Parts: sequence; C-alpha cells; structure tokens
Amino acid sequence: MKQAYLGIDVGSISTKGVIINEDNQILSSSYIWTEGDPIGAVKRLLRLLEEDFPKDTYTVMGTGVTGSARKLVGTIVGATIVKNEITAHAVGTTTFYPNVRTILEIGGQDSKIILVENGVAVDYAMNTLCAAGTGAFLSSQAKRLGMEVEEIGGYALRSQHPTPIAARCTVFAESDLVHKIQMGHPREDIIAGVCRAVVANYLNNVGKGKKILSPVVFQGGVSKNAGVVAAFEDALGCKVFVDQNGHLMGALGAAILARRSRVRRAFDFAVEDLEFHTRESPCGRCPNNCEIICVYQGDRLIDAWGNRCDQGAVTPD
Amino acid sequence: MKTQRKIAFPRYAEYNCALKYFVEQGLDATYILQPALTRRTEELGAKYSPDFVCTPFKTLLGSMIESLEAGADTLFMTHGFCRLGYFGELQEQILRDLGYSFDFLNLAEHSTGKKKDWVRAIKWVNPRANLGKLTLRARDTIKMVQYLDQVTSFYYENCGFDASSGEYQKTYQQFISAMYTVTSKREIETVYQRTMDRLRRIPLDKPAHPLRVGVVGELYTVMDPFSNLELEQKLADMGVEIHRWMTLTNRLIHYPGEKNLNPEIRDLCTYEMGPTSTANIWCARKYAQQGFDGLIHIKSASCTPEIDIMPVLQNISTDYKIPLLCLTYDAQTSDVGLMTRLEAFYDMIDAKKRMRR
Repeated sequence: MKQAYLGIDVGSISTKGVIINEDNQILSSSYIWTEGDPIGAVKRLLRLLEEDFPKDTYTVMGTGVTGSARKLVGTIVGATIVKNEITAHAVGTTTFYPNVRTILEIGGQDSKIILVENGVAVDYAMNTLCAAGTGAFLSSQAKRLGMEVEEIGGYALRSQHPTPIAARCTVFAESDLVHKIQMGHPREDIIAGVCRAVVANYLNNVGKGKKILSPVVFQGGVSKNAGVVAAFEDALGCKVFVDQNGHLMGALGAAILARRSRVRRAFDFAVEDLEFHTRESPCGRCPNNCEIICVYQGDRLIDAWGNRCDQGAVTPD
Repeated sequence: MKTQRKIAFPRYAEYNCALKYFVEQGLDATYILQPALTRRTEELGAKYSPDFVCTPFKTLLGSMIESLEAGADTLFMTHGFCRLGYFGELQEQILRDLGYSFDFLNLAEHSTGKKKDWVRAIKWVNPRANLGKLTLRARDTIKMVQYLDQVTSFYYENCGFDASSGEYQKTYQQFISAMYTVTSKREIETVYQRTMDRLRRIPLDKPAHPLRVGVVGELYTVMDPFSNLELEQKLADMGVEIHRWMTLTNRLIHYPGEKNLNPEIRDLCTYEMGPTSTANIWCARKYAQQGFDGLIHIKSASCTPEIDIMPVLQNISTDYKIPLLCLTYDAQTSDVGLMTRLEAFYDMIDAKKRMRR
C-alpha cells in the first residue's frame, strides 16, 4: 500500500479537501459550501473525497487541517497537524510555484498578501476588523443584481467602461452601487466596477506599503472571478497567475504539511458516519463569562476550549 | 472629622497596585480596587460610550463604573498627550448623566507642571495630607512602577522557555498579588528581590539565539494584557523572547523627551505625530538594528497617532528586512483571529531564521 495525505481547509464560505500522494499529485479533491455548518460540511466533503479515492492502492496516513474552523474540524477528524491558513497557503503555493514573490489571496471573508523570498514567506498582512473587498461582498452584490456569483466574472470582461465605485468601505460601496444602478449604468459596467473596487480595496488595505513583485500568484475563491483577475493585472501592470487548483491551495498546503510532519496515523473514513455536536456553555466563574465550546462525539466529550484561565478548564472524558 | 475618601482609578494593566500604595500610604485615603477587566467591563463601557471613540475610552469608562459599584466616591482620571487628555471630562459627564454621584479629580485640569497646582489637587483630596510624607511615598510609588516594569519585562523575555511546569508564571502572578498588599518601602524591596531571585533560579530551556520579537504600539492597548488579548503571553508561549520598551517607566519616568528622541529619527520622519509615535519609531528601528526577528505593532481602532506611524514602520520593515505585523484591536470577544495571525507570524519568522543559518 502506498501512502496518501489528506488536507482539509474549512473556511467561512467554502470547505475544500484534497488527497495527495508522495509526489503532491492530487488523487481526489472536492470543493463545497460550508453553509454555516462546518461539521456537516466536512462529513459531506469526506464522502465526496472517498468516491474518487483509489482505496486499493493508497491509505491516508496523515491528515492536515486548516482554515478558520481548523480547531473544531481537527478534533473531529483526528488531524495529525493543524495549521493556520496563512502558513498553509504559503506552503501550498511555494511548492507548486517555487519562484513566486507575491501571493494574493481573497477568500470569503478574509484577504491576505504574502511576500515570498527564496521560497520562504518573509512578510504577510491579513485584513483585521473589516471584511470589505472579499468574496462575501461579491456574493451579496451578485445577488442584488440577480446573478450567481460564478457568472459575474465573465460578465465583467464584456465591459468597455467600468463604472467607478467607491472602494473604501463595503457599506459605502453598496450605496454607491445602488445609485449607479438607478442612474442607468449598464449592468456589465457596474459589475466590472465592482471587480475593480475589490482590487482597489485590497491594494489599499492589506496591500498597503507592501512591495508587490512579479511573479504574482492569485488564489482563493475570488481568483475564479475573471473580472477581478483582469482588474488586478490592470492595476499591477504585470501578469497574474491563477492556478487551476488555486481554490484548493489551502487544502493542498495542509496536505503537504501533513506529509512533511513526522506524525503518521491512519485516517478512517468512518468519521463521516459518526455523530458530532457542539455545545456552548458560558463559564460563569467570573464576570468575563468565557464562552466554552464543548465538542461531543455521541455522548462522549472529546474536547473543549474557549476558557481564558484554568477556572474554566474542562477535561475531556 | 470627615470620613476618608474612597478613591479609585480605572484599571490599567497592573499599575493600580502602585496607585493603591500611593493613595493609602501617601494620601491617607482608602483605595477601592474594582474587579479586574472582564468582558462585562467592556460591554458596560461600550454601552455608554460614543460608538467611534477608541477602545481604551470604553474600557476605562467601564472600569470606572465598576469602581463606583464597588463603593468608590472619588474617581481619578489621568491627563494625556492625545485625545486621552479629553477623556476625563467626557467620562465625568457620561457618569453624571447616568446618575452616579461622586467627586472627580481630572488630572488634566491640574497638570500645569507648576508645583502649586499639584498641591492644590492634593489638598482637595485630603486637606490634612502631610506633604513631606507624601513626597516620600510618591518616590516609593515611582520605585514600585519601575520594579513592576522590570519584573514584567524580565518575565516576558523568559517565560516562553520555562523548563519547569509553570513555575515561572506562578512566580510572576504571586509577585503581582504581593504588590497589591505592600504597605512600606521595605516590603516593596523585599517582594521585588524575592521575585527576581526566584525567577533567576527557575531552570530555562532557552537556545543561544532564540526568536526575538519587539512589540510597539499605543499607550494603553500595548501595555494592558486584557486589551490586547494577552498577545505577549500567547506569543511567548510559542517560544519567543518578547521585548517591549513602551512601559510607564520608560514613557513617563525615564522618557528622553521629544527634543532628544526626535533628532534620532529625523531621517525617517520630520514631525512629532503623537504621544507615543516618536518613541515607537525610534524603538522599532532599534529592535531592527539589533537583529530582532520580527516587529509587532498594536493599536486600538481609530487611534490616529498610531495609524500615522504605520508607513514609517513599513519603511523600517523594508530597509532592515524585518517582518512587521500590524494589529488593530476593537471590542472583540474572540481571540481566534489573533491566534491565526500570531501562529502565521511565528511560522514565518521561524522559517526565515532557519533559512539564514
């Protein structure tokens, strides 16, 4: 039996998974919506991954989990490594693009920029406090225009005169956009304007003060939007590479990290049939009232977190 | 005889112990210590504050309310070098509108630098205060602040490498508790000496060249562990030596002054931008020159002076090839986002250091 490695990236909007072999070749991959239910999404994801996975020749010996729900999902699937999404993205991209200097990443609710030198991340920035200019904004604006978020990229490319739209803040951008619609601007111009606003917002926020050097790789869910890619190339004046697996890069990074770590533990797809649930319980031992999250497998408490001090520590069964 | 005043000051890191000492031993009044900052403090403060004011205003206001609940009848509020100087006036008004009755000493009204204005403030608090004794106790208070900062700095430089099971943290916490109960200069000295002796004896598992990170930022959020979601402890626990110049000792007692610091950073920026900006720029470059592995800049949302220094810090980061992480804090309740950024920052500086070897 040959060894394979599973990587899972559970983001706010989408859940991604890949299984790779020793040579980083993808054996199975999947991309689904999280829909506010990370546990359910991971179970569905595992079912989909299992379908294409050649079980007779490979066994999964390492599991890496990343993304904002990494802790919860890491506990559930029994991960051998749990890593933050910034490191996972940097590792994934530098593996496939060893010469990359700048990684642009726009996801559902976060955006980041990673600067790379000699294959190692040397500086990064990530949005704080505000999720302006991310995938969530594109989704809500697509909905307002009565379109699917997947179609707006192609639509934007048709525009000859993109409508200028305030890029500073999502709330302002939205009111600006509504005005422009009511003024009679054509739809493709407005969509192209929205794509440009996302790019302007990105470069003025996370990209501020960062020296963006070529080769530039753009990834994350929004990289699938051709309109945003064109707007980036226009703004940066250089070619922007989008990998066909760019949306899976976090999951790929997690799988590669699992392969590199020395921990080996066979992964059991039976997880998808087990029942997990979480319960939030306010600590109540001091006025801080930490929200303690308890994770159960059936009736068994398998992990708990959220306490700021030992008073609220919960020991698993 | 009028009963003693019950004095309180909003919580500010662990500096309240020094104030307690000064009030009780120097001013001969009672000091009311409200509960430590919690999420309740923040919620109370945010509820009654203007929405877009910076977070320290809200935290301070919440802590004032908690001190009134604890029985204080006199509140002190500091003066300041930025908007902080106007905080007291607005906070007093908000508290009066809420119906609290209390006396309010706003140091912004007395900090003229003239001795007679200070004396007037002291006589207002306690007409029978003995100025000679008060001067001596004021000196002890300054010493206390210095000891507090020394021990805290030493702690964060080493606690990430504690080879025992939690002895380091326990000793530090015992030190803080002890500082809240000292009543004489001798006790202050004893507690300090005992703590340093104990800390030095705890075995450390520290490499010859550990990862070193310099933390700079806005006066309140950078010093107060509750407000910065215990950033220093979190990062130290990953195995990092933490350095932070910005302490009350350095900013108030030993501050070299704008006149002396500004020439040292003239090549980076021309004008003074706020109470901590010159020091932070100067300090960030010093860390960079000393070969630190990373810089972290902390501010509360909408802190104008600290927003202004960010481009300068970016330049330092580029010139000296030192990674910079800028963090903005608002009244958040979750530290998951902070952990993501800190873990990534650690991974990055760690990989960079390994590569250089």
